[in-house]
Amino acid sequence: MKEISKLSLLLPLALLIAAVVQDMNMLSTSEHSLTSIYIREYFVIFSLILSFPLVYKQKWASDRNVLRGLRSLFFLILFTCFLLILSNDRLDSFSDFDLDKNILYENIANYIFVLSWTFFSTIFILITLGTLRNLIYIKRKKSTARNFTWLMIFLVIYPLFNMPESFKYMNWVNNDNFEKLHYVILFIIINLMVINSFRVAWINYLNRKQKLACFWGGLLLIPIQLYFGYKFHSINPVEIFSPVLGKFVDTSIIFLTIYIVVAFLALLAHLPTAQLYDRKIRQISSLHHLSRAVSSEFDIEKLVVTIVKLTKEVTESDFSWLELEDFTTKQINLVSSINLREGEMRTRVPSADDPLAAWLKTNKEPFLNNQTSKSQVVKNLCKWKKDLNSLLVLPLIKGEDVIGFLYAGKKVEFGFEYDDADMLRAFCEQAVVAIENTRLVEESIIKERLEQELKIAHEAQMKLLPKDMPELKNVEMDAVCITANEVGGDYYDFFEIDPDRLGVVIGDVSGKGTSAAFYMAEVKGIMEALAKANQTPKNLLIPTNETLYRNFDRKTFISLIYGIIDTKNKNFIFCRAGHCPVLMASPGEDNCKLLEPKGMGIGLDAGNLFERSLQQLKMPLKTGYVYLLYTDGLTEARNKTGEEFGEERLSKAFTSVKDLSAHEIKKRIIHDIYTFFDGENATDDMTFLIIKGL
Amino acid sequence: MENFTVNRTDKEDISVLYIGGFLDAHTAPDLENAIQNLIDGERYKIIVNFNDLTYISSAGLGVFMGYIELIRNNDGDIKMSNMSPKIFRVFDLLGFPTLYDIVDDEIKALENFK
Repeated sequence: MKEISKLSLLLPLALLIAAVVQDMNMLSTSEHSLTSIYIREYFVIFSLILSFPLVYKQKWASDRNVLRGLRSLFFLILFTCFLLILSNDRLDSFSDFDLDKNILYENIANYIFVLSWTFFSTIFILITLGTLRNLIYIKRKKSTARNFTWLMIFLVIYPLFNMPESFKYMNWVNNDNFEKLHYVILFIIINLMVINSFRVAWINYLNRKQKLACFWGGLLLIPIQLYFGYKFHSINPVEIFSPVLGKFVDTSIIFLTIYIVVAFLALLAHLPTAQLYDRKIRQISSLHHLSRAVSSEFDIEKLVVTIVKLTKEVTESDFSWLELEDFTTKQINLVSSINLREGEMRTRVPSADDPLAAWLKTNKEPFLNNQTSKSQVVKNLCKWKKDLNSLLVLPLIKGEDVIGFLYAGKKVEFGFEYDDADMLRAFCEQAVVAIENTRLVEESIIKERLEQELKIAHEAQMKLLPKDMPELKNVEMDAVCITANEVGGDYYDFFEIDPDRLGVVIGDVSGKGTSAAFYMAEVKGIMEALAKANQTPKNLLIPTNETLYRNFDRKTFISLIYGIIDTKNKNFIFCRAGHCPVLMASPGEDNCKLLEPKGMGIGLDAGNLFERSLQQLKMPLKTGYVYLLYTDGLTEARNKTGEEFGEERLSKAFTSVKDLSAHEIKKRIIHDIYTFFDGENATDDMTFLIIKGL
Repeated sequence: MENFTVNRTDKEDISVLYIGGFLDAHTAPDLENAIQNLIDGERYKIIVNFNDLTYISSAGLGVFMGYIELIRNNDGDIKMSNMSPKIFRVFDLLGFPTLYDIVDDEIKALENFK
């Protein structure tokens, strides 16, 4: 596209050269017929029309870059004036020129001078019109393009009236009508110029500093422009070359002058409000900035810094700070500040009883005071911040509650207006939403993390439990671990010692969640490693306790029962390390027995006490002997009324099913528990293990 | 969720913590805070009165284990009193009576400190 527009300018250049060549011809023969003059004018007009891409394809100004357009305009005019001054003498020598005299063709130097002026000023005026077009098109309406195009059309038509004399007496129009038409078109063109000159919306895009720069620029430019316009109007070198082109340049310069003057006046009107206007724009952009922060910033630390910074910007205050209510303690704290001194930040103790805080809490309105020294309400605050003279405080309101205060202060008196309070109120509403968002996000992240953690702990726990029941001669076993929502730390496992003997463990790690699962894994690893080398439960538990005591933190311990099932000798030897007792049902007896050998939990004592406390029991595992090993989750299970399942209920349930297979016993006990729960959920893991001699 | 309460009374250099309700993994931090406060105030002679406690889980027991070493190293102790049979059973199963001075009532605990 760009290539084409560059090429398209070659054609008008060619036409202009054709006109020049024709001139050269005339120069040598020094005779010029009217026809040749006309042909020359037509060449020039077509050349002009074909050059219009210069106006329409220019990109020098846009609403994003008004200044660049203005700057190029400024320098173009300045440069032209400079040239005008340079060529002043020669121009003056033309002042008494007459077309008939044809000074043009008398002197080759004059000719080149006029030609270069023509060429340069036409290019100049086309570029200038292009820049003006871009400025005019800013905030364009439907009619903008139409008005401008009509102006361009008339700018080309109007100069046609400046054709050499004889043109006027063409057959189709008489002298009178021609004059009238001339004025009508002049009238239209002036109207169009004025209409287009009022398109100065670009002033709005300038900030105060730029407006001031434009003002000084305009002050310099306007006299130059007027002088330039006047000079060009009186002695127009282009008109010597071609009357039509000359008129075009002349009229365009008039338009340029009108536009600049109107723009300058509009600028003058804008100047007094420039500061206010700038401030409003800054406020709006700060609000916009905050809205963006609301949707993107979920870190409360960063958010409060942004809020305070924007508050200072919006109100143009000297210092600003934010006090927020702590979520849990309800205490109000200074969370962020700007331009407060180190000492001031340390000594600020916000209190809900302060008269100012009380006022804000009851009124829920912005508090504005422009002479803090005369106010009782802010006396405390002024004692703390000595250079505070104007104060604006806003309560942060969430629903019915005040969750914090946003302060803005100035060192001068009468620093704030009610307009600031209104502005800041809108700002505060946004800020509350943002703060709430970060809190909600934080909560949901924590919740999600806990859930995730729980899931991992659950999976870990499930992986630690054995997948299948071991197959044994003459002994039947079954076990279950019913997990609660939270990982309770229950655990059971089997270790093969030799083909006739199997180690059995059931335990409960104190604490819950992921840490319980990790401790469980540790217990499993240690016991598995020690099981083969230590042939009795006591021998195994003593080093287990020693190792775990060293590795556990002091709060953590584990209660467990470790026993060895001997299928050859048909007995069950076990130790109880702080765990729930073992229930034993024996053949021929109606009631089952609680076996509770002495023993301390693992991880409570370094070694001596533990070793001394530990008792080992050797029990028969012949036909009809059934053992139930369980965790406290089972006996402490609560129903809706808060009643515990308890040892008694468990032993009854166990006794009534002791003659069934281990698998059936398990099913019945589970059934009994759920019947007892009656819809309630387990809060702790429930684990039990059945060993039955066949 | 069940409630847990802890109240403190100072009797000369001995502090008594009255605990009540449910002491489990969720409420254990409350008791931890209470004991930590005593330690921060260099009060190492502590009696825990279990009179109103209805339930204690292993995490609750863990709280005492977590502090006992530090307290005993500072010539202090945690003595326990007024346990219901059910609560005592939990302590007993784990073998706590060999580790702690568990007595019937507060007066006995106070005497044991003398």
